[in-house]
Amino acid sequence: MRLFQHTNIDFLGKRKKFYVLSIAIIVIGLAILFTKGIPLGIDFQGGTEIQLKFANDINVGDLRHTMDDSGFPGMEIKTMGSDKDILLRTPMQEEGTSVSDKIQTSVKAKFAGNNFTVQRIDKVGPKIGAELRKNAMYAVVLSLIGIFVYLAFRFQFVYAFGAIIALIHDVLITLAVVAIIDFLIPSIRLEFNQQMLAAFLTLVGFSVNDTVIIFDRIRENIKIHKNEDIEAIMNHSVNATLSRTIITSGTVFLTILVLFLFGGEVNRAFSFVFGVGIITGTYSSVFVASAIVVDYKHRIMDKLASKPKLAR
Amino acid sequence: MKKNLTRIVLTVFLIILSLYFLYPTYADYQLNKELKGKTGQDSIDFVDKNGEKLKNVRDKRIKLGLDLKGGMYVVLDVDIVKLLEDLSKKKDAALTDVLNATKEATKNNDDLIFETFKKKLQDKGLSLKSYYGEIRDDEKDVDKKLRDEIDGALDRAVEIVRNRIDQYGVAEPQIQKIGGSRIIVELPGVSNQEEVRKLLQGTALLQFKLVKDPQSAFKVMEAINNILVGNKDTTNVKDSLKISTLNKIDSTKNKTSITSADSTKSKNETAGKNKKDSTKVADKKVTDKKKDSKDSTKTKKDTTKTKKDSALTKVDTNTTPIDSTKELSDEERKAKFPFFTLVNLNQQSGTADGYVREADKDKVDRILAREDVKSIIPSDMTFAWGNKTIDSPEGKIYTLYAIKKDAELTGKVITNARANIDPTNNTPVVNMEMNSEGAADWSRITGSNIGKRIAIVLDNAVFSAPVVRGKISGGNSQIEGMGNIQEAKLLEIVLKAGALPAPVKIIEERSIGPSLGEDSIKAGIFSSLAALILVALFMVIYYRVGGTVADLALLINVLFILGIMASLKATLTVPGIAGLILTLGMAVDTNVLIFERIREELLTGKPLKTALEVGYKKAFSAIFDSHVTSIITGLILYQFGTGPIQGFALTLLFGLIANLFTAIVITHFIFDIMIEKGKDPSFG
Repeated sequence: MRLFQHTNIDFLGKRKKFYVLSIAIIVIGLAILFTKGIPLGIDFQGGTEIQLKFANDINVGDLRHTMDDSGFPGMEIKTMGSDKDILLRTPMQEEGTSVSDKIQTSVKAKFAGNNFTVQRIDKVGPKIGAELRKNAMYAVVLSLIGIFVYLAFRFQFVYAFGAIIALIHDVLITLAVVAIIDFLIPSIRLEFNQQMLAAFLTLVGFSVNDTVIIFDRIRENIKIHKNEDIEAIMNHSVNATLSRTIITSGTVFLTILVLFLFGGEVNRAFSFVFGVGIITGTYSSVFVASAIVVDYKHRIMDKLASKPKLAR
Repeated sequence: MKKNLTRIVLTVFLIILSLYFLYPTYADYQLNKELKGKTGQDSIDFVDKNGEKLKNVRDKRIKLGLDLKGGMYVVLDVDIVKLLEDLSKKKDAALTDVLNATKEATKNNDDLIFETFKKKLQDKGLSLKSYYGEIRDDEKDVDKKLRDEIDGALDRAVEIVRNRIDQYGVAEPQIQKIGGSRIIVELPGVSNQEEVRKLLQGTALLQFKLVKDPQSAFKVMEAINNILVGNKDTTNVKDSLKISTLNKIDSTKNKTSITSADSTKSKNETAGKNKKDSTKVADKKVTDKKKDSKDSTKTKKDTTKTKKDSALTKVDTNTTPIDSTKELSDEERKAKFPFFTLVNLNQQSGTADGYVREADKDKVDRILAREDVKSIIPSDMTFAWGNKTIDSPEGKIYTLYAIKKDAELTGKVITNARANIDPTNNTPVVNMEMNSEGAADWSRITGSNIGKRIAIVLDNAVFSAPVVRGKISGGNSQIEGMGNIQEAKLLEIVLKAGALPAPVKIIEERSIGPSLGEDSIKAGIFSSLAALILVALFMVIYYRVGGTVADLALLINVLFILGIMASLKATLTVPGIAGLILTLGMAVDTNVLIFERIREELLTGKPLKTALEVGYKKAFSAIFDSHVTSIITGLILYQFGTGPIQGFALTLLFGLIANLFTAIVITHFIFDIMIEKGKDPSFG
């Protein structure tokens, strides 16, 4: 079986249009992000989160009233999958007397007939939250630097530059898409937690793969066709590697889809972010990474061409 | 072919190795399944019978993270503000203000508390010296001293926490020091948050308790033994036992040579003690001008070392204190002296300390918790476990001490403790100082208990039980007989825990119920299989024979990942399973790259064999580069992530490394062999 055989699409000729598309998505996404913000998970903001499994369905409205009356006004209460699985969250996490114990006691008192088991309790202090936020930033920046250095060493500086721009693009687009989706479909319950950070980092490591595949081919073709125009070589290389770029991303996307559907609540945010990342990563390998290299090389050519004039 | 032979041998070897490492995981699963089917006494019997085996496979199986197994994860922070408050020599309003301001300023960030405190103090025109030093002290020295105290507090906190958790009886707890002031505690299978919070945050209690004299301790043990045998003719059994046992003690006296050698040694030491004492006193005077150490006497520890050796011999020869050991078969002995089969005594030591194999510890605890047993233990006596274990060919040996219930003195009177090397004989010692109030009590206690042992008990665990060699007045004591400087250091930490609490507070707490873990495992297994089948199917449909071979490599890859995890004792977490699933998708990518290249080469009209070689060769650089970039991010993720996320990074990293071998080496030689045998593989 063969897909995408003998394609001859002028990808790079259309690059300006895609620049506009990418920038538009990023701008909209970041606008939402900065005005509304993605909810931070308690990993990053601190607080107490408790997940209960009730024997019978429970009315979230009643539960909310109970919490309002028990000294937790405006507590975040969500169902997880069914009306038996409830997640309660509060930014409170006072020392000593535990918030989670208080919550449990009041739930027990109010819903005496409906027994529950505690599935999970997370309590994160504000200090830890701040630290994790800082570490998250470090981790993303460090991995970008690591990849940049490696690619600069294996390819030319231009390629490393193109790949890094593409990666930053992927991170921003994914962030933007997460913000947009969270804005449009809040019920999907996306929030920035450690799992999501892991997704972003894995995404950085993975989405550069497609770029490497294309660059590898360009590297090879430049040696063979020394006199051809760089844009033509690149277009040719992108077309030649198109099927593997799509299939390799496709197999990973397949597994991520399974994870998203059946991997349980914990892996949902991770698989969603990574899934979006795979698509943008593949897209950016062609329309960003390669395109930036072309533009960069053109600019150098122009400069080289204009320099003798100046000298004269 | 020769080249392939090495590869085949290597592959088969690695597969066998992986299976070998994975077997305990399988055996553990089977044993636990059996155990689950049993209830009550049956399950206890099963554990008793298979204890050794259960423990063995549990040590070697793939560890499950807390998110899969359920349990608690707690991050403790040494409360440096509190420590600074406790340490200050005068507590005035200015200090309280500064401390509160420090607390507020460092509440939500990672600034170093001590630096902030110092700066705030200086802003107010105050010096560290005025609160933490003497008038003639140098500010810099005080600064350094305080920093040392903060470091010491962390060590102390770790030791206190470890000691308590050991006693709490959690299987496979993890206690880790992180950074300058943090302790991470992982407690699998624990769900009582309230109890754990108390356990971790409470103030440590250090006490000095007299060890019961061997005769009365032995009598109690005998009585316990009789209860276990059955109450019918208690008196008769008791009498005969008493006689025979005592006989035995006499007759076996010179059998264990190590003990007697050591005991002569200690006698010699005691004989020459007075001389040494005077030198010690002189030393002390130099180092500690304030304290009148004229009367400094030393306690001679009833060397753990000695006991260690004798315990070994004891356990090796399987002797019990019971006379008739030799004539009785194992079965008979077990029937007649069940308690002493579990709790081995050593007559040569002249103590009634019991030595218990690790596997038997739970049984002994169960016996001691029985109501009928409890009722015959005198009200002023209690049993306590030693904190240290002794290594022997039969595994770890625990020591059971019979001590007085009431403490003679609490550790609050200790003002300082320091581990040193005694320059006269190069052995480790611990020097302990007490305040004047404590010194008076200590002098009375030691004076009236010469020749007896005093147990140093921290939160109910005995850390040491030195023999009192003489009356100690003046408050300065020296404990000797530690096996090495580490032991001495530990004792220093323990003694200091009495002097200075190491306040800790919980700054992160996560607890996962067991049912959530089970759900996660189910979801993990289901999605792993679903992903595996989908990817495998795709490969077969798209690349035919080539795809089938790639699928085989994929399976071997999964086997390798799990094998590596088991061999490194790595932990599998929920995100770790996600990493495994992700790896499934990424692993076939390597083969996709190779196959696409082969197809390309075939299109240019090359024969299959050449296309295959060229395909593998030309695809390699892209495969290598993409693996390296993924490994870079994997390593960073491992470095910056916490617990579960590290699990993800690990499976991902192992997957990438295993993949380089399975997808490149294994598939290659399989194709080679197929071509050699004339069965040309198709690539769809």
